[in-house]
Amino acid sequence: MKKFIKNNGTFIALIFLIIILSFLSPSFLSSRNLTNLVRQVTINGIIAVGMTMVILLAGIDLSVGSVVGLSAVTVTLLMQAGFGMWLAILITLVGIGGIIGFFNGFMSAKFDIHPFIITLGVMTIARGLSLVLTQGVSVPVTNSTFASIGSGYIAKLPSLIILVVALALGIWAVFKTSIEIKNGEKVRNKAKLTGGIILSLVGFVSGFLIFIGYQGIPIPVAIFVVIVMIGIYTLQKTRFGRKLYAIGGNEKVAWLSGINILKSKTMVFVITGVLSAASGILLASRLNGASPNLGDGFELDAIASVIIGGTSFMGGVGTITGTVIGAIIIGVINNGMSLLGINTFYQMIVKGFIIILAVMIDVLNRRETA
Amino acid sequence: MAEEILEMKSIIKDFPGVRALDHVNFTLEKGEILALVGENGAGKSTLMKVLSGVWPYPTYEGDIYLDDQLVRFDNTREAEEAGIGIIHQELNLLPDLSVAENIFLDRHPLNKFGGIKWEQLYDNAAKMLSRLNMNIDPRIELGDLTVGKQQMVEIAKALSLDTRILVFDEPTSALTESEINELFTVINELRASGVSIIYISHKMEEIKEIADSVVVLRDGSTIGDKIKIDQVTLDEIITRMVGRDINDLFPNHDFDRGEKTLEVKNISVPDPFNPEKKLVDDVSFSAYKGEILGISGLMGAGRTELVNAIFGVYGKKSEGEVYLNGEKLKIKAPADAINNGIALVTEDRKELGLLLDKNLVMNMTLPSIKKFSSKLAMDNHAERAVTEKYVNELNIKTPGLDVFVEKLSGGNQQKVVIGKWLITDSDVLILDEPTRGIDVGAKTEVYRLMNQLVKQGVTVIMISSELPEIMGMSDRIVVMSEGKKTAELDRSEADQETIMKYATGNKGVE
Repeated sequence: MKKFIKNNGTFIALIFLIIILSFLSPSFLSSRNLTNLVRQVTINGIIAVGMTMVILLAGIDLSVGSVVGLSAVTVTLLMQAGFGMWLAILITLVGIGGIIGFFNGFMSAKFDIHPFIITLGVMTIARGLSLVLTQGVSVPVTNSTFASIGSGYIAKLPSLIILVVALALGIWAVFKTSIEIKNGEKVRNKAKLTGGIILSLVGFVSGFLIFIGYQGIPIPVAIFVVIVMIGIYTLQKTRFGRKLYAIGGNEKVAWLSGINILKSKTMVFVITGVLSAASGILLASRLNGASPNLGDGFELDAIASVIIGGTSFMGGVGTITGTVIGAIIIGVINNGMSLLGINTFYQMIVKGFIIILAVMIDVLNRRETA
Repeated sequence: MAEEILEMKSIIKDFPGVRALDHVNFTLEKGEILALVGENGAGKSTLMKVLSGVWPYPTYEGDIYLDDQLVRFDNTREAEEAGIGIIHQELNLLPDLSVAENIFLDRHPLNKFGGIKWEQLYDNAAKMLSRLNMNIDPRIELGDLTVGKQQMVEIAKALSLDTRILVFDEPTSALTESEINELFTVINELRASGVSIIYISHKMEEIKEIADSVVVLRDGSTIGDKIKIDQVTLDEIITRMVGRDINDLFPNHDFDRGEKTLEVKNISVPDPFNPEKKLVDDVSFSAYKGEILGISGLMGAGRTELVNAIFGVYGKKSEGEVYLNGEKLKIKAPADAINNGIALVTEDRKELGLLLDKNLVMNMTLPSIKKFSSKLAMDNHAERAVTEKYVNELNIKTPGLDVFVEKLSGGNQQKVVIGKWLITDSDVLILDEPTRGIDVGAKTEVYRLMNQLVKQGVTVIMISSELPEIMGMSDRIVVMSEGKKTAELDRSEADQETIMKYATGNKGVE
């Protein structure tokens, strides 16, 4: 039990936070509020998935906020210039997210410069580009289909079907992963099985209450969930994920074991760039326009989500599940304090303390187990 | 009879599980250059650490007399104040500060306000340097000097502390020929001015040239008394250094040499800190299927660098050609070596061999993850099965496969590193000091394993600093000294004295 609390500290903290807020503000638990909360989380959450991989490599990417801004501006301007929506999105994802990510990763890995410095430079460059492209003023979205991506919903019936399928997949996955090999024999870990099934059911019920109780699943949330699933699968199951943990654990050992560090690092920054661009596109769609300062400071929320979610700044340790919980914690704090009428200036102070607290708990935990 | 300045009496120093120094006695006279020699791990460095206060009393037993006064230093500072200085192999200087600041590190002359009197500082430094006949501007950054000049600064620093006993630990290992001559001139001048010197070196020729007398350490004990250098031959010194029997630690094996597998030609590795020097200098050798090739040499001989170069660690910086089964390989990084069937068990398992906070499965399958994954997913069951197989085969003692390897003992960690390379199924397995820091039982298991691999047709190359190990295990032995290959010996013609002769750069019997 003690071990359970230790390993799931942030998750338990999240539950507590939700319980406290639901007492303090009756409207917190309403379907409408929670739907909005989850949608807000997705913008930061999508970036944080990439940031998790970067920090797993003991790196950092400060440019994500500027990439959000530049992507939002680019996609909007492209559509104004007459490009079709999908083409504009594709060009932005590849041309902005992909290329900036490649530059970040390649430069830092090839020339062994700390990514902090490269991405700090790129952060300024990308922000400057947004300002140049827009001449410093906001640009409106002219395509009405585009606006529906960020603010639209999947209808209730298909949403329900998706939730049921997700539940089935979740339980199937729990069955598959709860088998362990002990002394050459396959043994089922009963605790893991029941825990997993309970978690899947809780997820299904809350998904049902939140989304079906309001207008269905918001499209950005669906996109976010798919990205998270792919992210988790990538880190847990693929060769690429394995390499990231190895490089983060000890880069020299990984290299001597035949891993191409340059390739892996570049890939991770490309992924983060593309995800940031996706986040920027969703934001432009939701706001129905783009201002050149969009995404300012987003890198801090993304980094905070990753750290609160238990990823080690030293690299090699961390999960996307943790990051998602971290992102939700930040979202709940922002949302809860707004509901309670607390000034956003104070929100920043509280958030800062929570980041420090999360890391402190993590460090103390580790010292105890060591 | 010159006056005695230092006497170390019956010094004992224990580390967990080993006695590093066992009743060591020796004396040093005023203005004497005493050579302290012995194999790697004989206890030379430990003895000097006792002398210089790194190991304070009572972490050691025995007495140290300085000018017939019993001294017991609590720290290195006290030893320095008593006039004992050490010039370490790795210089202890700050490359970004000026020469003068390095000499007077925290002893700057200060004015009334606590500011540094720079002119006086530079004057004092220049005086110290002129004592060594060194024409170095004390204002320039230390990092701009050659290694040899930096060493002179280190000596000047020691002299500025009124050092009476100066210890040189392998001072020439990073120097060029002319720099060595310069150093010897300075050492002779120091002797003339009454400084006593303890000179630690592996290089017999140097000792013969510079030292007045010699003390030999072996397995933590002094062998015989101090002898005047002109009353002893190099062969006698070497015999004192090695004189050990090969015990029956080594399992017998019959060799059945097969075809030539690995051939390396003209491998050279430049010294990153001294462009005039080469860490590996034009080394070529071949290895055959079904044999163990031993690579012997003293510390700093370039053995690790040689195998690292073969493994692609230096990329384009190293030169030379590597052939496997007659085919020329293009190795730009370790990944290329691994793909071609060459595996390297690195010397430093904690820094270079293991992901300490990862489990056994992840560690052991790392170099061969391709075998356990499709484009899409890792086959977790297959990799666990293989890990389990090797854990059993290598007799790795672990509570489970999911344990972090940092929790395992040194011997078991070493087996994990070896296991990780066995899983790659390589044709050539290079082991760099495979038994360092592990207990005797684990050592024997590693030896058995090597024999078994040879039988399976693997070409095994082993670097070892322990002569009995090299002689007990190898079919042929390549000996290196100062980056060069000095000999290639057959098992039958190799004895400890011969190997040591070539390892110390002494051509001796040809």
